[in-house]
Amino acid sequence: MLKYAFKRIVQGLITVWFIATATFFAMHAVPGDPLSGDKALSDKTRANLEAKYGLDKPLMTQYGIYLANIAKGDFGISFTQENRKVNDIIREHFPVSATLGILAILFAGAGGILWGALTALYRNRLPDTIIMFLVILGISVPSFVVAAIGQLSLVNINDLAGVSLLPIGGWGTVWHMIVPSMVLGLGTMAYLTRLMRSSMLEIISSDFVRTAKAKGVPPTQIFTRHQLRNAILPVITVLGPSIAGITTGGFVVEIIFAIPGLGRYFVQAVQQLDYTVIMGTTVFFGAFLVFMVILVDIIYGYVDPRVRLE
Amino acid sequence: MSEPILSVSDLAVEFDTYGGTVQAVRGVSFDVAPGKTLAIVGESGCGKSVTVQSIMGLIPIPPGRITAGTAMMNGVNIIGRKTVNGEDIRGGQIGMIFQDPMTSLNPTMNIGNQIAETLIVHRGYSKRKAFNRAIELLDLTKIPEPEKRAKQYPFEFSGGMLQRAMIAMAIACEPQVLIADEPTTALDVTIQAQILDLLADLQRETNMAIILITHDLGVVARMADEVLVMYAGQMVEHGGVDDIFYNSGHPYTMGLRAAMPTNQPGIDARLTPIDGSPPDLFHPPAGCGYCARCPHAMQICVDNPPPTYTLGERHETRCWLHHPDNNTQVEGINKAVGSSP
Repeated sequence: MLKYAFKRIVQGLITVWFIATATFFAMHAVPGDPLSGDKALSDKTRANLEAKYGLDKPLMTQYGIYLANIAKGDFGISFTQENRKVNDIIREHFPVSATLGILAILFAGAGGILWGALTALYRNRLPDTIIMFLVILGISVPSFVVAAIGQLSLVNINDLAGVSLLPIGGWGTVWHMIVPSMVLGLGTMAYLTRLMRSSMLEIISSDFVRTAKAKGVPPTQIFTRHQLRNAILPVITVLGPSIAGITTGGFVVEIIFAIPGLGRYFVQAVQQLDYTVIMGTTVFFGAFLVFMVILVDIIYGYVDPRVRLE
Repeated sequence: MSEPILSVSDLAVEFDTYGGTVQAVRGVSFDVAPGKTLAIVGESGCGKSVTVQSIMGLIPIPPGRITAGTAMMNGVNIIGRKTVNGEDIRGGQIGMIFQDPMTSLNPTMNIGNQIAETLIVHRGYSKRKAFNRAIELLDLTKIPEPEKRAKQYPFEFSGGMLQRAMIAMAIACEPQVLIADEPTTALDVTIQAQILDLLADLQRETNMAIILITHDLGVVARMADEVLVMYAGQMVEHGGVDDIFYNSGHPYTMGLRAAMPTNQPGIDARLTPIDGSPPDLFHPPAGCGYCARCPHAMQICVDNPPPTYTLGERHETRCWLHHPDNNTQVEGINKAVGSSP
């Protein structure tokens, strides 16, 4: 198990290096640089600034310096936000994004498993039809539309109630987290519902469920011990990659609900070609995702004995 | 023949499908006594498995439907019932093992817990006590190192070992009847022999009745006391194992025997197949189900279903050739001693 975890972590580091390299060269391939902002600079100022930030060096040298700094865990100083360290930006805003993302994943996972199992048990009957219709909606409507509609309904509900039941934006208390994380998790939940439904349908008609019936096991125990445990495996498999989906969706939801997460900085940085912030946020998010995928794989080993590694 | 422990009469099962209603089982009767083995034989789709699965309550309803018939056990009709005389039927009074042990066990639960589950459900054992009993059962079914094996998962077992574990699970509550639905079909020949020996040993020790579904007549000859030959959802012949092999009363049974390989390969070593295919059970034939493939078919076979003729003690068949007015003598078929239409 330890050996396996170690192997996966080494693979993960290689992936992160690859992400860093690709981002670095893609970023420099875009015309312009952080200094080509709104103010026109004299040649002299520009040359001074370039020298200060090391932008006058050959690209490969810059790449080497970046890698060395990243390895030390130093992402540098932002070009556009005065004297703000990228590490500080991440430290301040990442916990917000992570909380939102984790809540969304929990919501999506629990909802997907529950609705998927229900639709499979009620297949081709009314509850199945209704939920599967909503699922198609959930998959096809993009998160910024869901976010806007969610916020609007919240306004209307608060208006009807006459008091502010739930805040419509901002961050701070648990109440702020409820609606944004539901909105963010909705698409993934819909997708997981479909997956869980088909997986559950396959399990329901499987031989070992028939064996359990022949043993006289009560239906509730067949459901929990035999059906659910096996049907959940494909859901766990896609949970890792869907964390990526949730994180990218998070940028939009953060902006609509005025949540001080990392996503806003990421988008701004790309628009302003703020090299250090782009590199810092990308590499950090990349590492985070790789770590989550490894974590899911290790959890998978505990649920399915066939992939438990010696 | 001692008092039967399970006695099924006139069982009929239908399935609703998009193509219409399939009459999978059309009036099957049999009984089985303690310590005896009844083999149910017939080709694929003739209703063998559906018959036993309806007794076990395993057919999905809908689309399935048990339209007629009873299955009496200890004086109670168990069809549609969960308990008989206060005891659970499925897993308790009747154990069942299946064709493919590789897929018939839960891949994410260890073997010991799967066996223990039966004991927890029916006997109310504690988890620890049930697990210890599961280890004993694995030992009883001759699995080496049962303590270690009980903690392993199905993917760590071979096919033959899994079938032994299945048997351990089925006999955990000392059932009076064991239903074995093609228990050796998925196993290789040497393992088949071991599994059959194990079943025979367990039967001697516990005096349970076995209903063995198979289409291997070699297995029948080795295991069975009585044989029920099924065709198109009906009984065509029923009798002692010697009657079926040496004194067949139905052309289908003779066809099955002719299609069997022998130990004396001669120059003419080809097997004799039964030409044609079974009838469409969406629209079962008006007369005898076998008449389209029967070399001795007469006009009456097409139009009228044959009654049951008694050929001897506990030997009966459903074939017009045994009608007293029939003068055609078919080689190998003895005339009936009486009839019970």
